[in-house]
Amino acid sequence: MGKINLRMVEVQNRERRLGTIIAWNGTASDLHTQSGYQRRGSGCKSNKDGCRLCEAKGPFTQGSVCSEQMVECQAGNVRDAVLIQHSPIGCGAGQVPYNSIYRNGLAMRGHKVENIRIINTNLQETDMVFGALGKLKQSIDDAWERYSPKAIFIGTSCPTGIIGEDIESVARKKEEELGIPVIPLFCEGFRSKHWSTGFDATQHGILRQIVKKSTKKQEDLVNVISLWGSDIFTPMFKEFNLRVNYVVDMASVSDLEQLSEAAATVGFCYTLSSYMAAALEQEFGVPEVKAPMPYGFAGTDAWLRELGKVTHREELVEQYIAKEHARVKPKIAELKKKLQGLKGYVATGSAYAHGLIQVLRELDIQVDGSLVFHHDPVYDSGDAREDSLGHLIENYGEVPSFNVSNRQQYQFYGLLQEVKPDFILIRHNGLAPLASKLGIPAAPLGDEHIAIGYEGIVNLGEAILDILAHKKFHDDLKKHAKLPYKQWWLEQKDPYILAKHPELIDAQPTIS
Amino acid sequence: MAVTKNEHGQTNSINQVRYGCAVGALYSVVSIPGAVPIGHCGPGCMDKQYTSLAFYNGFQGSGYSGGSVSPSVNAGEKEVVFGGEKRLDELIKSTLKIIEGDLFVVLNGCIGELVGDDVGAVVSKYQKQGVPIVYAETGGFKGNNFVGHEIITTAIIDQYVDKYALNKDHREKGLINVWSELPYQNTFWRGDLSELKRILEGAGFRVNILFGGKSAGVEEWKTIPHAQFNLVVSPWLGLKTAKHLEEKYNQPYLHIPVLPIGAQQTAAFIRQVVEYAGIDPATAESFIEQEEQEYYYYLEHFNDFYSEYWWGLPATYAVVGDSTYNLALNKFLVNQLGLIPKRQIITDNAPEKYREAIAQEYQKLAHDVATTVDFVEDGYIVGKLLKETDFGHKPPIIFGTTWERDTVKELKGKIVEVGFPASYEVVLNKSYIGYRGALQLIEKIFTAAISASA
Repeated sequence: MGKINLRMVEVQNRERRLGTIIAWNGTASDLHTQSGYQRRGSGCKSNKDGCRLCEAKGPFTQGSVCSEQMVECQAGNVRDAVLIQHSPIGCGAGQVPYNSIYRNGLAMRGHKVENIRIINTNLQETDMVFGALGKLKQSIDDAWERYSPKAIFIGTSCPTGIIGEDIESVARKKEEELGIPVIPLFCEGFRSKHWSTGFDATQHGILRQIVKKSTKKQEDLVNVISLWGSDIFTPMFKEFNLRVNYVVDMASVSDLEQLSEAAATVGFCYTLSSYMAAALEQEFGVPEVKAPMPYGFAGTDAWLRELGKVTHREELVEQYIAKEHARVKPKIAELKKKLQGLKGYVATGSAYAHGLIQVLRELDIQVDGSLVFHHDPVYDSGDAREDSLGHLIENYGEVPSFNVSNRQQYQFYGLLQEVKPDFILIRHNGLAPLASKLGIPAAPLGDEHIAIGYEGIVNLGEAILDILAHKKFHDDLKKHAKLPYKQWWLEQKDPYILAKHPELIDAQPTIS
Repeated sequence: MAVTKNEHGQTNSINQVRYGCAVGALYSVVSIPGAVPIGHCGPGCMDKQYTSLAFYNGFQGSGYSGGSVSPSVNAGEKEVVFGGEKRLDELIKSTLKIIEGDLFVVLNGCIGELVGDDVGAVVSKYQKQGVPIVYAETGGFKGNNFVGHEIITTAIIDQYVDKYALNKDHREKGLINVWSELPYQNTFWRGDLSELKRILEGAGFRVNILFGGKSAGVEEWKTIPHAQFNLVVSPWLGLKTAKHLEEKYNQPYLHIPVLPIGAQQTAAFIRQVVEYAGIDPATAESFIEQEEQEYYYYLEHFNDFYSEYWWGLPATYAVVGDSTYNLALNKFLVNQLGLIPKRQIITDNAPEKYREAIAQEYQKLAHDVATTVDFVEDGYIVGKLLKETDFGHKPPIIFGTTWERDTVKELKGKIVEVGFPASYEVVLNKSYIGYRGALQLIEKIFTAAISASA
């Protein structure tokens, strides 16, 4: 684990920094042991490449997601900034989903609803030969003329990375000329095997060029690193006389500037918050709340106590914990009766999955399996209190079928056959359509804050009841839908068989 | 190099994209039953095209081989530095093992094209073994998904149909290949293509519709050479394919720029095709009569509302959308409903050589109505032009996309989302064309117009 280096223009990708993997097959405790969180946290200096976890990567892959998409959904969602995509038009297609998410997010948080501000430089074949810094400059001028933004982000793309566009020098010149931060974000899709590097790329740029260097502090301000989720933190924090500074999505540039002035930083998911929270502590002295994530009673208790300690509000926090326990426990007892005997499955990003499994177990729902899209053996702080997988195992027990699969639907089929859940929790697209063809309903968690804290246990229980009612639709569909996978594949017991035995692709006839 | 602005102030910049890239035509592959796309591209390319074209555009869905099913190389640093041919080879090999498909189409993306991967060499090895697989050079910098669509149809024709079609010289009178809307890009393509097929069959033809649920899939493609002629129903998309087929199989084509909406246009359309084909018009005429009877039965009842609704209806309109729908809607709105055109913006980057002919069509919308059209792709300019338009004393109705919602609010108008992206519409088999689609369109327009009135 090295320190975060904000002097570099490009963010160091997750696989180098944290040892991130995208394919693994086993039990939660095996993965945890092999990740060696504490050893690494205390400094695994001999291993420059981070973790040496074995990856179960095979020859077959289905389309996943890239870092640039995460830049669109973070930098592109800063309210008074503009994101420029220096790329051919295909990357611009991402403007459509992220606009929809942005608009709905704005409405959910009570902001004025309006279109996302992303400009594509629309690179063409000749630009690949001659370069296109002129177009980049033009788009920066267009952004300035159209929106008078408080900051301009520039996202790179696979083609600009390959042809070697000198984006940094253009950004520097335009920053001087316009007098606002002009921030290059290096997020070529090919540069990292996992899209979460795109979160880091955005946060890196914000930390380098937007966050104020001042030493002024606001002792009641807490940074909350989140996405578009509903505002559950403001009412909660009010009980401790704390104010919320939501970043990065839907923040204003001045919200981002004051990140350095906060009393603490928290996140709902270490996958998302790891980089920025650690860097704020390292470079600006803003303490990161290092605790289990706020899911389930054990996690939420510990998280709140640590927040209380860091912000010197221990007493208020204890009062809140006692009050909330008393309030939600009867509700949860009722829910447990309704949810009795159910089996759930979690398929989301890494740290978020750990949290959701905790909440399901809190509701006495059986969770025998989970698929996470990637695994970070360690988060940036290296602090063992952030060992979310370890916390899950220690407090809520083993998950026997724990798999890392970067949204590979063909593997998900086998995993579902193995675990046979009654429902799944998902976040990213791609897996639920398959589950539904097997008659398994999915609760898509668009509002990522739904399961947080004590009320989150209740919320998730209710969401599951809603979604179980959909089972009628899925059962009907199951009888009529055709799966795109060959019988040979559907009969495989091990979804990772091709990674373990790649020679099998030669052993079978090519055409059936 | 300095960038020049056009007359509207458009530079290279594109806000609010209104199409995907050439790789986005992977959804043309997905729309052929039994066909499976394989992406030789970066990890996010397939997903971006999916979430924009097939999800937040009417929530059309991934179908059999789209969404997270589509295999992709997910190219990383290694493929960029050392080339990705080996990786593609193992992906194809494993795809054939895992995915059930009648035809596989490899789409080369930006990375593969820029590092110079010889995708053709990798694929031809499988073609020689008799695997139904083709490849297409669809780097995103080559253009949009309209361009990509014709690259792909040509690739399938040249590398698959040509090889597997039997009796390529055999022609069947009355069999037509139809080339019209761009699948998935046009939010209503599924319903529209099935209405198009229904109309042509009603007139006495047999129809290779080629895309969507009414197509017999890859088998149908093998009968392309047997068609009497190709029918292109759009201002420009499909012409390239039709010309290619003319050269290849000496197969003629009929170009009808206006996709028919409503009874008048549809009857004219049917008669034009029948006349060109030289088949007996009796079937067509009795079909038209029957359809008109039904169509005007509904219009008669709609008439009470249209002539007596107290609370006001919009009189003027603007259409923002790709060439095919834009022109079709204009013809219908003017001729059937008597609405007044105020601003027409075509957003699909129609090739320069067709723009004059397209503009001419707007000069003769009706015998007494003409209007002009602007070709714009940048959403910021679209918004600017709409805001500069004088819509008269009442707020207009805007036929556009989700991007127009903010502008429509400013104009206090009504919006009907008719194209990519339509993120606030759920579309299954809805159609806005032909006889049946026109009725649905009328319902949609006036529900939008009055639903917010109290």
